[in-house]
Amino acid sequence: MRAVIVVALLSSTATVAVSAHHSFGVAFDATKTVTLSGVITKIEWTNPHTHVYVDVKDASGKVVNWKLEGYPPNVLERTGWRKDVTIKVGDTLKFFGWPARDGSPYAHLREATLSDGKRLFFGPPAGTGEGPAEVR
Amino acid sequence: MRPPTHFVLRRGRLAGLLLACVLIAATALAQTKPQPAPRTSDGKPDFTGIYQASSRRGGWDAEAPGDEPGVPAERRPIAVTTTEPIPFRPEARARAQEILNRRSIDDPTGHCIYAASPRITGVGLFPIQFVQTPTQMIILYEYMTVHRVVPINGKHPDDLSPSFMGDSVGRWEGDTFVVDVIGFKPGGWLTGGLVTSDALHLTERYTRVDRDQLNYEVTIDDPKVLTKPFAQRTTLMLREGARLREYSCAENNLDPGVYEKLLKDPSTFTRSPGKSK
Repeated sequence: MRAVIVVALLSSTATVAVSAHHSFGVAFDATKTVTLSGVITKIEWTNPHTHVYVDVKDASGKVVNWKLEGYPPNVLERTGWRKDVTIKVGDTLKFFGWPARDGSPYAHLREATLSDGKRLFFGPPAGTGEGPAEVR
Repeated sequence: MRPPTHFVLRRGRLAGLLLACVLIAATALAQTKPQPAPRTSDGKPDFTGIYQASSRRGGWDAEAPGDEPGVPAERRPIAVTTTEPIPFRPEARARAQEILNRRSIDDPTGHCIYAASPRITGVGLFPIQFVQTPTQMIILYEYMTVHRVVPINGKHPDDLSPSFMGDSVGRWEGDTFVVDVIGFKPGGWLTGGLVTSDALHLTERYTRVDRDQLNYEVTIDDPKVLTKPFAQRTTLMLREGARLREYSCAENNLDPGVYEKLLKDPSTFTRSPGKSK
């Protein structure tokens, strides 16, 4: 009987990802990914998001400046990043993330590969904060 | 008769090996066996410490990349919050569905307006610090750099003015610290599209079940939007060595500008039930 009650309780609850600052899915498209490499031109080590701007050269040689968004500094520092140490303007950065819905060179940066090959997360996974599609 | 020298050496090595095994086992047991919660001089459980909403004991939970891009090496939830089905009133349910359809673009936290305790307690990215005295429980949240000063055995003020986080008073029920929270501004956002009213009433129960684990259970009642109360639970895990830092949300909040452009054509981001992407 006790086991039945526990199972019933578990099935009547939902585990939820708790939103911090804002919804992922408003601005970014989780159905597409972007993996590119370029040179860092600017770093905004700020709240509520840190931004890294990267010049990416396409196959024709045209340079596009990407804006990459991620965790606030406090979270980055607990994830292994150090301001002005881990990355600097001029460094090469490879990035994996999800692009903006509007097609602009703007992305949610999930994983960064530094010039020395070290990989670190820079932002949360896709879908954070937008809630389920249907009321539960 | 003395045993041969090589046998004495072997026996000595065997004894040393056994002793090492016992020490390793004892150390492992000490590390895994929960230690009792500390207590204050007046015998109450002492909550003093820094915690993270998490399901794991030990150091700060921070994900590291694995083999697949974007996927952590170790798949584990940073925070686990369970929520009972929300007993919405019909109009509140319709509003919640509309919020989810719009992917929560109107969430006040996007404008750096902070939320009530059930939401900010479960955000596992940021630490929470408890400072306990015989007359007050002070709770400091790194997320949004907010705090609550909860008088113990106090009463809500007569001149209560509505606020985003409400007015809290606490009491001990055995080893559980119970906090009664009222006096909210209407329009706060909690979980799953729930927008609360000025009738929101929280009953929070904090229990430090052992040295590492502080259980959080909240009963959320809001008769203007709910047909009955419902509960949400999470665990806060002690994180020795962690420290609270500043989170100045309004410093460089570019999101309202991004949203203003997106709202010119909501069809670019809205969704409908059954279509999550």
